[in-house]
This record gives sequence, C-alpha cells and structure tokens, in this order.
Amino acid sequence: MTATQERTPTQGGAPDAETGTRTINLIQAVTETIAEEMERDSRVVLFGEDVGARGGVFMATAGLQERFGPRRVFDTPLSEASIVGAAVGMAVRGLRPIAEIQFADYMGPGFDQIISQAAKIRYRSGGQFTAPMVIRTPSGGGVKGGHHHSQSPESYYTHTPGLKVVMPSTPYDAKGLLRSAVRGEDPVIFFEPKRLYRAAKGEVPAHDYVVRFGEAAVRREGTDLSLIGYGGVMPDLEKAADALAAEGVSVEVIDLRSLVPWDKDRVLSSVEKTGRAVLVSEAPRISNFMGEVAYVIQEQVFDSLTAPVGQVAGFDTPYPYVQDKVYLPGPNRIVAACVRALNY
Amino acid sequence: MIQPFTPEPIRFVAEDGTPVQPLPERFTPDLLRELHTLMLRAREFDRKLITLLRQGRTTFYAQSSGMEATQVGLARSIRVGHDWVWPYYRDHTLGLAMGVPMAELLSQCLGTNSDSSRGRQMPHHFAAQAQNFVSISSSIASQVPPAAGNAMAQKYLGVDELTVCTFGDGATSEGDWHAGLNMAGAAKAPAMFVCENNQWAISTSIREQTASETIHIKAKAYGMPGYYVDGNDLVAVMEVCGYVADQIRAGHGPALVECLTYRVGSHSNADADAEKHYRTREEVEEWLGRDPITRVEKLLEHLGHPVSAEERAALIASTHREVDEQVLKAEATGQPDWRIMFEDVYADLPGHLRDQEAFLRAEQTGQAGQGGQA
Ligand SMILES: Cc1ncc(C[n+]2csc(CCOP(=O)(O)OP(=O)(O)O)c2C)c(N)n1
Repeated sequence: MTATQERTPTQGGAPDAETGTRTINLIQAVTETIAEEMERDSRVVLFGEDVGARGGVFMATAGLQERFGPRRVFDTPLSEASIVGAAVGMAVRGLRPIAEIQFADYMGPGFDQIISQAAKIRYRSGGQFTAPMVIRTPSGGGVKGGHHHSQSPESYYTHTPGLKVVMPSTPYDAKGLLRSAVRGEDPVIFFEPKRLYRAAKGEVPAHDYVVRFGEAAVRREGTDLSLIGYGGVMPDLEKAADALAAEGVSVEVIDLRSLVPWDKDRVLSSVEKTGRAVLVSEAPRISNFMGEVAYVIQEQVFDSLTAPVGQVAGFDTPYPYVQDKVYLPGPNRIVAACVRALNY
Repeated sequence: MIQPFTPEPIRFVAEDGTPVQPLPERFTPDLLRELHTLMLRAREFDRKLITLLRQGRTTFYAQSSGMEATQVGLARSIRVGHDWVWPYYRDHTLGLAMGVPMAELLSQCLGTNSDSSRGRQMPHHFAAQAQNFVSISSSIASQVPPAAGNAMAQKYLGVDELTVCTFGDGATSEGDWHAGLNMAGAAKAPAMFVCENNQWAISTSIREQTASETIHIKAKAYGMPGYYVDGNDLVAVMEVCGYVADQIRAGHGPALVECLTYRVGSHSNADADAEKHYRTREEVEEWLGRDPITRVEKLLEHLGHPVSAEERAALIASTHREVDEQVLKAEATGQPDWRIMFEDVYADLPGHLRDQEAFLRAEQTGQAGQGGQA
C-alpha cells in the first residue's frame, strides 16, 4: 500500500496556504477520493446505474467518466444482481471494482450476490479466491423519500460474516475510510448517509491518509455519559450533547465510523469512565447493530454501569413518508434517553 | 389475427394522421374523441403536478408526457375492476384512464388524510382497490413475480380474469423480471406483460441497457408470444393489447407486449436537466414531432371531425380547474399524524409496536414517561 501525495482538482474549498487543508462536504469527499484512487491504481473501475454521463443521481460521480473514460467509469444495465455479481467476478480476476448501488434500499435485488458470493468467496475457497471490492450506496432518511429511498439496512450486512461495513459522517472520514475500503483486501459495504452529503462540511488534509476500520472517533470527551452513534445521526448526537452541556452534563460523543469491525476497546473504556451509555441509530430497533454493542457493554463492563444501556433507534415500522421527521431519532429523543440514564 | 414477433412496430396510423391499414370499425370519431380527451387531460395533469412541485406542495413526480397513447390504449384493453393490474410508478395516465379518481391520485401525491395509502409512500405511488390497481412499488421490477403469482391464482381459481403487469425498458434487466416471465410462462398463467419502452432508464439508453435488438423478442425465451407496437399510435396499442388480452383470456397463456414510445420530459423532478447530461435536444425534438396526442388530432381531422382550438382550450382549462379544486379539497383534509406509522404494519399490533406507539404518544403529547423506546 503506497501512499501518494498526488492531488486532484476538486470543486470545493481552496487549500489553506500553510496546512494545505480544505473545507469540503461529504459528497465532494467521496467524489475526489474515487478520483484519487483511480489515479493511483489503474485496476480501480467504477460502475453502477447512472454513474457515467449523469454523474449519479446524487452527483457523487460527477465528471469521473469525462476524466477517466467510459472504459473505467460506466453505466450498467438496471440490475443490482448484475452490478454486485459482476464486481465479484472482476475482483476475483484482479480488478478493484467500486460499484454504486443507487439507493441502499435497492441492494435487495443484489442481496444474494452480496451475501452468497462477495462475502463468502474467500472462506469457501480457502483463500484461493478473494473479492476485494467496494459497494458504495446512499442510505438513511431525512430526505422525504418514503420507505424505498430512506432505509438503513446496515444490520443485514453486519450480520453477514465476510463483509466489512462502514458509514462515515464527516468528509474527513469519508476520504479516509473510502481509501481504506478501496485499498483493502475484503468486500466493503460503504454506506453514505445521504442527508449529510451536502450538510456535513469539514476540513480534509492535503496529504494522503487513511482511516482504518475498527477505530472509532471521539467527537468530544466527557465524563458523565457516553453517547455512541454512526452515520446520519451524528449531528443530532452533537446537538444533544450541546443541550446537555448547557445543563452541566459532560457527554462523551463517539462515532463508530465502522460497524464491522467495530471499536470495542474505545467504547468499553469510554463506558468504564462514564458509567452510562446511550446508543443511537436510525435503523429499526429489532436486530439493530447497536443491540450487539449494548450486549457487549453489559457483558464486559457491567460493574461500571450505573444505569441500563439506553438505545434510541428507528421504530419497527417501514420508514414512513409524511412522518419521516417523527420517525428519525432527533436531538430531543436522544436527550430524553440520556436524561433517563442520568436519573436512573 | 395479429402477428407476434414482427420486425417493425405494428402501426395503424401514420404520424401525419393517415391510416396505414384499415381503421378497425370500433374507432368511431366519438370513441377517438373520448380517448383524445383522456390523453389531453393526463398531459395537463402532468403540467399541473410540475407546478405543484415547484410550489413545494409535493416532493416527487414522474411524468408520463409522451406516453399517453401507450397508457390510455392499454387501459382500454382492461376490464376495470375485473382484471388485475400490477403497475409501475409512471402509470398515472393508466390509472386515470382506468377511472381511478383524480382526487385519489392527488391525495396520494400530497400525502394527505384523504390518501388511501395514508401518506406512507412517497408521492406518485398510489393504489386503488376498486380498480384492482395494486400499490406501486419504487423497487424496479419487483412487481413482476407477484403479477405472475396473481395470474397463477386466477388460473387456479378458474376465474376468467387477466393480470396486466407494466414496467419500463430498464426493468427488463432485473432478475425479477426474468424470474416473473419465466414463472408465468411455465405456469401458462393469464398474464399480459407490457413494456412501456420509453428508451431511457434515467440516463441509461436502451442501447446500453441490453444488447438485445428489441425487448419483445425476449418473450421467445419464456415460451410466450412477443408483440411489437408503435406505442405512440393509440389505435395500434389498443388493437394489439385488446387482441392479446382476448388471446390470454381464451386460455393461450401469457404474452409480452413492447410499446415503443418516448418520455419527452425528465425522468423525475430529481433529474430536471436530462438534456444537459445525457441526451440531445435533437432526439427530444424528433420525438416531440411524433407526439401521440397530435397524432390522434390529425387522425380526427383526417376523418373530418377535427378538435377545434376552442374545444381543446376548454378541456385544458377544465382539467386545470379540476386539479386545483381537488388539490384544495385534499389539502383541507390535513396530513396524517404519527399514528399512521403503526397501523398496517401487521394485521394487528404486536406488543413491541404497542410499546413503541405508547412511547411516541407520550413524546408527542409532551408527557415522556420513565420508559425507554421499548
Ligand atoms: C431495484 C431498483 N434499482 C434502482 C432504482 C432507481 N431507479 C428508479 S427509476 C430508474 C430507471 C427505471 O427505468 P425504466 O424501467 O426504463 O422506467 P422509466 O422510468 O424509464 O419509465 C432507476 C434506476 C429503483 N427504483 N429500483
């Protein structure tokens, strides 16, 4: 894995003269990282529905076909099974495919290819064949999309051994995690929280860096309660922490960044320090990945807990259209869960 | 007798409105006028809905402008309320032509209390029980295997109904599409599969979609006839779909009909700049020149029964008025509240959802209790 200092032009943010950092949004981070990785490694190819001339329905791949040509950036027929399955075949044969699934909701038709082929080819073949590939897909709600454009299906994939599952919430992490995904040796499901595409802005350094999977980020340190989330809900965690800080409560905010693998050590040491944990995700609650985190907390640091582990999740209903703001765990619901833990 | 697998799309009326083969008797000026009215109203509905989008009163819309002959022609081969329909998301013209009330369509697009789907689906995904018009799913081609099953049930039950399943050209790439056609073919189920081939799946052209020359020839692989129709020729669509429906009802098994048409607008409001990104203005202009409504008008003129400018203007005005009225009526019913989230998830409310509903009730009424979001 060779690091490169090569820079690529981007739409966003002029670099700071001294540090070289720029402020960009999350979708720009995705676009430029794909471009940089394609520049770095000629085995990287990008494909999916409408990723070419159209530049993706969210414009995450805008300009890439112009830049790298239709051999490396191309539209596929409308078939997620074909997209994922072809990515597996290409990866086995030595390419580094980045496949876009237009919405996480539409991974369904490709599900068998993801769980039966991508996830298992290494194990099945005793390591003789592997599928290093990235499936990128916008996920989550908050954009008035109804259930077929708003779901958070990450738990299906965390439940499948052989897949790595990642979800950034900042441009910095999007760049670092996507680089890790493309350069890694395993199939990665890379969820992009679509409501943060333009809303999440932040600094990214000029140099080549990676964010390794399994390393959570501590967004702020605190001593009274650990507030843990990932992806689209992170700004709400920050807002909740602000509200609680105003009441004199010191909240530690942790962004998991990757779910498989997840940063057990960071989470456990935080909960040991604070004695309280509230876990947040917008996916439905039953079999929610955060249930695993809660289980491990109670199993391993039970003696440190001064309150039951709290969980804020989506409801166990299909994602609604009109009431989508009510469905999502907002800052108020998160604060209420924290208050329950604090008053226990 | 209409032949399947023709090399060229079947056509009855040329673009200049002159018949290229004898006009079947049932196409009287009265009928043609009635159908013209439906087509024109559907087009104006599109226009009004785009205005509603701009006003922020709805959030999604997929136009069917340019595809009116396909959808209205198909509607007329369906025995409404008797046959069953598994449509896709661009089928509001089909719905209107089948008599789904405009009020119902608008209520769904606005997500109001008058929406029979209770504001749960995104706009333009309606369902209409009275017309056996099954709820539209966003997920491309996912309606195809259930349509096959619907037809298998009809055969099993021994009823003389037909199942109609529609989709775009892009849908024919999905595994579900092939699975559904194969199943229906193997079961000799009474299903009519209709491809509304508007030649683009968002930005992917039919040429990038498949190396197959046409869609209808794929029927061969599933043991059913495939018909190729000029989808902008109302008479041709009605004749072919009517004939195919009769054949299926007579027990000859399923069939695939490909209606070659064009979506002249953008894919949806999320894609308002089609020409900028992926297709040429010239191509759009060329297809605007093959407008299906204009073709019926020219045919009527040819038959000596022209639609006058005044009539046309009156029709347009009355459609706009009707949409405006229905929108206000629908909006007056208000928006469904949070309770709709918990209804219709299951036939009855299981314990965990009862708890979640109680949690949300407490939250929404400002009486958050001690319990968590159980
Ligand atoms: C399974 C699935 N994948 C992707 C999408 C996103 N999507 C919505 S419409 C569309 C294009 C559909 O084209 P086509 O079937 O030709 O119908 P048209 O819109 O042209 O009428 C795509 C890719 C989806 N809705 N479902």
